[in-house]
Amino acid sequence: MAINTASAAISFGKELEQEGAKFYEDLSQKYPQYKDTFMSMVRENQKYAVMVQEAYFSVISDAIEGCFAFDINPEDFEFKTRLSETTDNSEVLSKAIEIEEIMVKFYTETTEQSKSLLGDMSRVFGLIVRKRNARITILKSM
Amino acid sequence: MALLEEPIKGIAKPKNYINGEWTESKGPISENVNPATGKVISQVANSTKDEVDAAIKAAKAAFITWRQTPPVARARCLFRLKQLLEENFEELSRIQTQEHGKCIDESRGETRRGIENVEVACGIPTLMMGTNLEDISSGIDEYLIRQPLGVFGIIGPFNFPFMIPLWSAPYAIATGNTVVIKPSPEVPLSQWRLTQLIDEAGFPPGVWNIVNGGSEVGNALMEHSDIKGITFVGSTKTARYIYCKCGETGKRVIAQAGAKNFMVIMLDCNRIATIPAMMTSFFGNTGQRCLSGANLVIVGEDDKFYKDFVNSIVEAASRIVIGYGLDESVQMGPVKDKTKKEKILGYIESGIKDGAKILLDGRKNLKIVGDYPDTCFIGPTIFEDVTPSMKIGREEIFGPVMSIMRAKNLDEAINMCNASPYGNGNAIFTNSGKSAREFQYRVASGNIGINIGIVAPMAFFPFSGAKDSFFGVLHTQGQEAVRFFTESKVVIQRWP
Repeated sequence: MAINTASAAISFGKELEQEGAKFYEDLSQKYPQYKDTFMSMVRENQKYAVMVQEAYFSVISDAIEGCFAFDINPEDFEFKTRLSETTDNSEVLSKAIEIEEIMVKFYTETTEQSKSLLGDMSRVFGLIVRKRNARITILKSM
Repeated sequence: MALLEEPIKGIAKPKNYINGEWTESKGPISENVNPATGKVISQVANSTKDEVDAAIKAAKAAFITWRQTPPVARARCLFRLKQLLEENFEELSRIQTQEHGKCIDESRGETRRGIENVEVACGIPTLMMGTNLEDISSGIDEYLIRQPLGVFGIIGPFNFPFMIPLWSAPYAIATGNTVVIKPSPEVPLSQWRLTQLIDEAGFPPGVWNIVNGGSEVGNALMEHSDIKGITFVGSTKTARYIYCKCGETGKRVIAQAGAKNFMVIMLDCNRIATIPAMMTSFFGNTGQRCLSGANLVIVGEDDKFYKDFVNSIVEAASRIVIGYGLDESVQMGPVKDKTKKEKILGYIESGIKDGAKILLDGRKNLKIVGDYPDTCFIGPTIFEDVTPSMKIGREEIFGPVMSIMRAKNLDEAINMCNASPYGNGNAIFTNSGKSAREFQYRVASGNIGINIGIVAPMAFFPFSGAKDSFFGVLHTQGQEAVRFFTESKVVIQRWP
């Protein structure tokens, strides 16, 4: 079912962040040499989930179009986080970059759709897009 | 989509809160149902006159010391309340959805708006300051101080069970008054939970009291000589009655009433942004708010624009997801009860009978997400060819019904707005500053929207109203509420 309300968009964004965090937590155990980097990404994901919810809770109003702000197909933003035992380093990094690119796509879409309706939320979404693009650069350099 | 967890399990039985104690009422009990599920959610008493008297007596006694409490100390109680409201934000919101039926986004919006009034009232040491002028004559100084008056009655409506009492109560107590609140007997749980947090915040006993019940309780408040003023939000009929009654008994009054709001669409509007604004305006809160759009007026003789715009509106409205508001995919919940639904159905019949053309019929093909009875559900309904003289064009329906009209030009649209006996929240959608300015200048309405479909003033602005939408002088919220809840005392002094 399409995501059409602010509440559903926020819940979906949180789910994506949590799945991403779990993915990086697994990687931090599997690749001890990158533990610090992956664990910082876990913490960032958790922080982004809080930021998005806080932005929503602080601007939500009965007077704006929260119930009619979004038209998002969740299937466009699904990603798999499970890795097989035989996955090598380059595949792992490719997977991480893929996940980040999906997240960027999600937040770019929600930024656009919430722009004229929930200004502070789109600002937070936009901030997360910038942070994530920086993360992609880090992952590509690994 | 999975349902969010319901905070109210079983049947809640809210008691009265008098002098810092939860007390059982001896009055007759009535039941309320969750309008989405049809299950009984609360049993509440219609309090007796003696119980109302006891609450007023407690509030009067508490006033003596509360008014002497420094404003900064009163503000600290409000800061604690604000913190508790934030901590319980989600629960408070879900209770509104359970007892009223609105969607979770709308409930959270209501909670936020309520909290914002507490935040503004926290600034009372500044808000309550008076003014002074030295040497009004040589050696003589004059100053104005604001003093609280005593006990105020606050009568809440069913459509915003949490927020609306907070348009008044935080300012009343911040200024040193005490309050007796009568929540709507149809939705008593939001105020009940709020009052639990008041209790936890440590307000002195008697400062904040709750007495449940219907019109008998309201009358008892208005007739009591120790009540200094009343704030009310509800229908025009009742608001007018309260205004007169308070006049008779010498009380201050703010009575916010019904509406029939016009959304005026100009050819140069931003159509992409305007369509969702119209969905929120007409169908948000299932049309049950005094700021809802009621009449959509499309200006100009461009038939193509008219047709395209109307088609877009009908298409968007027909896609609205209907169901239980605790499902995050739901965009429109049920109306509050069966009686209200029947009233709306009566208006739809009347529209058809009067010759309006129905473009979207909310009575038919109703798709409810989830397995819920359709008792209180009704879909978005859109009429065109409506005239202001038709019943659906002139009376407040308080449901998800849009009446589309046409006006040749802005002048005619403004005249249509002004011919309505109501004046609550009219809006224009345009890219022309000239048109917007003309609309703002000439339309007799307490609140004006420019590219905003729900003209709900923020807590630091007064919630205004005009004509049959408001009875009184000062308004709830912000600085005007501070003035309403205080007497201006002027002191002139000379020390020879």
